[in-house]
Amino acid sequence: MIRTIFFSAIILVVSIGGGAASVWLALNASEGIGAVVISGWTAFPDVGTPHADTYSKARFAREGGLSLGRAEGITFVASHDTSGNLLRRECSYQIEGQIPSARFWTLYVADEQRVVLPPTVRRIPALHSQEMLRTVDGAISITAGSHPAAGNWLGVSGRGPMQFVLTLYDTPAASSARVFEISLPQVLKVDCDD
Amino acid sequence: MTRIGYALLVSLFGAGIVHIAVLMLLPYYTERDAWSLLSQTSDHYAMTKIGGSGATTPLVRSVDPLFSAVACRFDLKDGVVHVAGDGTVPFWSMSVYDRNGQNIYSFNDRTAPDGRVDFVVLTPVQTIEVRKTLPESFVDSVFVEADLAEGIVVVRAFVPDPTWRSAIDNFLSDVTCAPS
Repeated sequence: MIRTIFFSAIILVVSIGGGAASVWLALNASEGIGAVVISGWTAFPDVGTPHADTYSKARFAREGGLSLGRAEGITFVASHDTSGNLLRRECSYQIEGQIPSARFWTLYVADEQRVVLPPTVRRIPALHSQEMLRTVDGAISITAGSHPAAGNWLGVSGRGPMQFVLTLYDTPAASSARVFEISLPQVLKVDCDD
Repeated sequence: MTRIGYALLVSLFGAGIVHIAVLMLLPYYTERDAWSLLSQTSDHYAMTKIGGSGATTPLVRSVDPLFSAVACRFDLKDGVVHVAGDGTVPFWSMSVYDRNGQNIYSFNDRTAPDGRVDFVVLTPVQTIEVRKTLPESFVDSVFVEADLAEGIVVVRAFVPDPTWRSAIDNFLSDVTCAPS
């Protein structure tokens, strides 16, 4: 009798605990189902639409988000540099390459919760395509770090992990059928303050 | 020994059922979705600032720091929703979301006629009725047919630099969201 109760209790605890824990783990994995990864940048073209899979829908419901529509744009997030290390605020990075055709784009630095970092001096750490200095072939080169740099500088302050968030607005890349074809700039580490 | 094996098997099966149940029910019971956050601060048909300076309900992950945005909750059971504004800005876009915050329809200033914010959200049944006698105020509007009851409308506008901030905020504060 006691053994039956004991086994029933074990089964219940493992079922409910294991089931809940597995959902929690699945929803906290950043490289989730439905992700599109292009040279280190991750996007979820279907998240926040009725076409999203069940896991994306559940994750999205907990975030309190309202994602951009197809006619608005698409957001890419980079949290690692080209060598696979986490991006850190005490390091400086070079973002180089072509950006897909879009009416305009914005790039900002965010913390792990995708909240923009506090401003350095007066500027919020965000840039957009209409204030870019470009190379002859139209590519961009942005220096992100705490030390001011010539050219395009994205000022970052503080310590800890960070993410680059690149949003293309009014772009043909936002339709997920073509999102695999585009190329995005590389994030190269320059050096770190210790 | 077989008993433990049996218990493990049943636990695994149970865990699978709990996993699926939690996953499916989460979107309906969450209190952290956009609708719940908006309903804590504003009523239906009240345009609320969700991004930019002085946002009343900041939905930080949804709005770019170089943007300002307003949102309004609606219920099509009260009648169709007319969202209208005036003025020109460098870029604006709008989206219609359902009760769960899923993007149903979106367009931007280049896909809207005259580049004006002027659209009507309605259900397929309401479309038939509105088409019969088109009200004067809907003549130039874009009709967004959506098969839903409750939903959210969001209008976003690009702020290229801080000098634009007040102009963009004026543009967004003039956007109205009203049932009719």
